[in-house]
Amino acid sequence: MYRLRTLSLPTLLLFFVGMPVFWAFPEALPFWRALGIMLGWAGAGLLLFSLLLMVREVELASRLGGLERITAWHHQTGMAAYLLLLLHPLALAAAGWAESPELAWQVISPFSENWPVWLGWAGLIFLMLGLATTFMHRLAYSTWRWLHSLLGLGVLIGFIHVLQLGIGAGGLLALASAVLILLWRLLRVDLGTAAKPYIVTSVRSVAQSMVEVALKPLAMPVDAEPGQFVLTAFFRGPNYRGCGEFHPFTISGFGPEHELRIGVKALGDCTRRMQHLEPGVSARVHGPFGEFLKALPARPLLWVAGGIGITPFIGFLRQQPVDTPTTLIYFYRDDRDAAYLDELTLLSANRPGLVLQAEATGAGVPNLDRSLPGAEALANHECYVCGPPGLIDAVSRALLERSVPIERIHFEHFDFR
Amino acid sequence: MTRQLYIASTTAFWLVVFGLGMTSALWNPVEQGDAQAQEKAITLAELAKHAAPGNCWMAIRGSVYDLSAYLPTHPSPPDIVLPWCGKEATEAYNTKTKGRPHTAYADELLQKYRIGILAKAP
Repeated sequence: MYRLRTLSLPTLLLFFVGMPVFWAFPEALPFWRALGIMLGWAGAGLLLFSLLLMVREVELASRLGGLERITAWHHQTGMAAYLLLLLHPLALAAAGWAESPELAWQVISPFSENWPVWLGWAGLIFLMLGLATTFMHRLAYSTWRWLHSLLGLGVLIGFIHVLQLGIGAGGLLALASAVLILLWRLLRVDLGTAAKPYIVTSVRSVAQSMVEVALKPLAMPVDAEPGQFVLTAFFRGPNYRGCGEFHPFTISGFGPEHELRIGVKALGDCTRRMQHLEPGVSARVHGPFGEFLKALPARPLLWVAGGIGITPFIGFLRQQPVDTPTTLIYFYRDDRDAAYLDELTLLSANRPGLVLQAEATGAGVPNLDRSLPGAEALANHECYVCGPPGLIDAVSRALLERSVPIERIHFEHFDFR
Repeated sequence: MTRQLYIASTTAFWLVVFGLGMTSALWNPVEQGDAQAQEKAITLAELAKHAAPGNCWMAIRGSVYDLSAYLPTHPSPPDIVLPWCGKEATEAYNTKTKGRPHTAYADELLQKYRIGILAKAP
């Protein structure tokens, strides 16, 4: 099963790139022209594959190895598609270069009064702009999301460019697939038809700029496990008006009647507004997603949490005991930021096998040399890290230096931009 | 890492495109002389003898082209192009899919296959 999940994405990738390249493989064409055509089709296949990875279906995400992995592949294949599509017109121009530089320029010149070329340029420029905004992490999420959708527009224009070249069957199939995937994503994820209706039942502050929100299902509940996360959007309440955007939140616990609790930290405009949530606010919950803490092996565990990264661990500990010796290292800035610390202290006192090591780091970075166990103490451990990206990277590096094999270091970034 | 790759590849792309545009604008090929005057005049009757896929001549805008070597690489399906072998095909060339003419790129490419001029009817 694990092997199937590992191979699922490479297999799909091979299909999406191999099929158009095989179908359109030119025979008896000059090298550069054939290369240009192949680059175009391979880029188109990668774009379609990257689009497919935006679809967030619970079952599909689980079969493909989790949303974290899918998002990483979405980024990498999208970037690879962009590189191939940049080379596509250049290779076609190179085919004309042998004849004359003028002929080479005619192939790609946007001044050639030629719809296929204009559309090719428009598609490429939309991809360029959309991708540029992808890297602007300081943009507000709502603005970022709209600018990111330029990429979808670029893909559609690119496939209309293929149609205009007179490649009817391939162009139509690619365009229809892209439209279907984009509609699927828009309806199921962005407009929330895949999400289930919930209502906020309680909100309590657990740290500075962090609340724990309890939600009760109004229809079918999501079938979640500790350590997983859900995409949740909040709408209206008696005195609250939510931004309606779906954001990922880790499940911090479960209550009676399928109640779900999530930790919400103020990290942006929308989550800052969520600090003022109140009972009665309507919500939609999509999920669950995530493979973190799923199927823990029967060996000693090291859990490292930074700030809000404590949420999956408290969610797990509230739900079940630890079966193997477990050390939880919890880094937080100061006492005001130490979410769930009192509860964790109590849990560790009552749970045999659980050792809590709580450390206030101040504004600086934690001293991992001092805080993490040595190589000998970590032998045979399985390590789970959750927190800000900088902490995940630093802890992963430190664990590798302590000879922990990479396959025994698990983390999730919970960043799906 | 991905960000750096994006910046580097996009910059390199625009440099190549602008470089190609500039080279094309400044390109000044050596005059080829009045070759056309010495070209062979091909009659419609002779043209009609070359109407097979492996031996395909077409008359377009007053010139005759031997497209036998090019046809296998033409983007359109063969049944669209082959019927014009051995014929005066200017109208077909000017009104390909949905009535649009061929591109300037195609015009440039066509010159490679030029073998003469179409003799005026007596």
